[in-house]
Amino acid sequence: MRRKRPLLNWAIAAGAFLVLAIELFPIFITIASGFRRDLDILSAGPFSLKFNLRSWYLVLFKNSEYLGYVWNSVQVAFLSTAISLVTGSMAAYGISRFRFRGRDTLAYSFLVFRMLPQISLVVAMYMMFQAIGARDTIWGLTLAHSSFNVPYVIWMVLPFFSQIDRSYEEAALVDGCSRFQTFRRVFLPLAGPGLVVAAVFAFIMSWNEFLYALILTSTQAKTAPLHVAGFIAADGLKWGQLYAAGTVLLLPVFIFTVTMQKFIVRGITAGGVKG
Amino acid sequence: MEGGSARTVLPFLAPALAVVFAVLIFPALYSLYASFFDWPLNDASAREFVGLGNYLKLFQDPEFWNSLKLQLGFIVIALPIELVLGFGAALLLNREFPGAGVVRTLILLPVFMLPVLSGFTWRYMLQPDYGPINWIIGALGGKQVLWLNSPTLAYTAVIMQDVWRMWPFMFMLLYAGLTTIPAEMYEAAEIDGASWGQRLRLITLPMLKPTIVTALLLRLIDALRIFSEVFTMTEGGPGSSTLLFSLYTHRQAFSFFKVGLASAMSIFLLIVSVAIAVLIVRKNMRLEEMEKGADS
Repeated sequence: MRRKRPLLNWAIAAGAFLVLAIELFPIFITIASGFRRDLDILSAGPFSLKFNLRSWYLVLFKNSEYLGYVWNSVQVAFLSTAISLVTGSMAAYGISRFRFRGRDTLAYSFLVFRMLPQISLVVAMYMMFQAIGARDTIWGLTLAHSSFNVPYVIWMVLPFFSQIDRSYEEAALVDGCSRFQTFRRVFLPLAGPGLVVAAVFAFIMSWNEFLYALILTSTQAKTAPLHVAGFIAADGLKWGQLYAAGTVLLLPVFIFTVTMQKFIVRGITAGGVKG
Repeated sequence: MEGGSARTVLPFLAPALAVVFAVLIFPALYSLYASFFDWPLNDASAREFVGLGNYLKLFQDPEFWNSLKLQLGFIVIALPIELVLGFGAALLLNREFPGAGVVRTLILLPVFMLPVLSGFTWRYMLQPDYGPINWIIGALGGKQVLWLNSPTLAYTAVIMQDVWRMWPFMFMLLYAGLTTIPAEMYEAAEIDGASWGQRLRLITLPMLKPTIVTALLLRLIDALRIFSEVFTMTEGGPGSSTLLFSLYTHRQAFSFFKVGLASAMSIFLLIVSVAIAVLIVRKNMRLEEMEKGADS
């Protein structure tokens, strides 16, 4: 394309890695702080080399309730991903394969739905959930998370769906399969990659979510991010434990960022990055 | 295949529509309903119909205008900085250099980091004495900066946090946009003797404009509803100096127990967000293009 200027390229590389180092410094320092005792962080400064596993031990073994909240997070993320994937892929199939009146409006509405602010819904949800006993339950929070994940999945899978050759479905219909059998047995297996990508994105959206968890849960269905927030405030400054616990939550995010790179641009244009 | 009556497609749409109705449309309508009442949290029986009273009350509430001002200021300051940083980085990194893939991937880590952690990370970074930033300032012989105790500095810090977290988002979108500009255009311009500045002004910027608009609008939607980062970083304080719109809504409902006022705020933000979302969808996202775009 352009003339090769190897020296310039190395200079750019050096600059780029410097920027990357500065950008990731706050994340690095928090992960490192997870390997310090709460007390050392307050007294020895942020760059001391006194590392130990005390905070990790406290978070994972001594006060093992944290793992219970991680489990809640995992359940909610998996369930809401499952609900969103099933209902979302069905709806996307309908939008992709049928030409019905209001089709475009419906598709665009889902996109708008994805962009609604959670704070505008959460007060009403609190009262609704309180009234029907869904507050502080796994399935209640799962439903709440599905409010952003269902529209999200629809828009994530649409491009994948429309690329799948229709001849297989047509053949199946001719052979006497019902619409739904065709969808389930013929279409979905072909749509595998798209579904996996959508599932991973939906999972991370739910995993990172905080506001719904803050308002709609308290003890039973409390998720890990909410518990992490509790290390600061009421009972003193437990930065070490906060970051040990936080590092556990960062792990899926890290894997997600590295593996989903190819799809991230589409993922965020389908409606923002934050839950 | 193409045809398909409403009756055959409905079973496919119904489950998603049911979920969306239950947890999106119904809560929105319920908010609208609640916004017409003086409604104490957890005691629906004590509610009292006040018509548009909550909206009138809001418009007379200095705290409401304050949160709106903080929210707009946040957007007006943070987004352009993110755009400039992201655009600059995209221009510089739009070439193959050693390690390009690693940089382009890992730079996105803050974007997808849990908002809670990002808020606490900055709260920690800015602590007096043991916080890394003050520690560095101290080591260089400077005076401690009590970031989160001063209204102005806390507001600055909230913006810093957002810039840190979100400029890579701009970078990623703009970089993706840059890679779609055909190289021949630059080659032709170079043959014609166009300078770097001219190429930027006459090719890059016009070609990238739709991407820039989309990126800004998407950021706008996100910035309007920012909550978790600020909540964990400052809880809206000190005083109400970082009490952005969603934080004030939260405070109305769950600290002051005024569901009616909180709902009126919810509806206000909902209308603004829907307007922007419709704009994004109308201007920048065509169904046919999204359907085609599986490889982009």
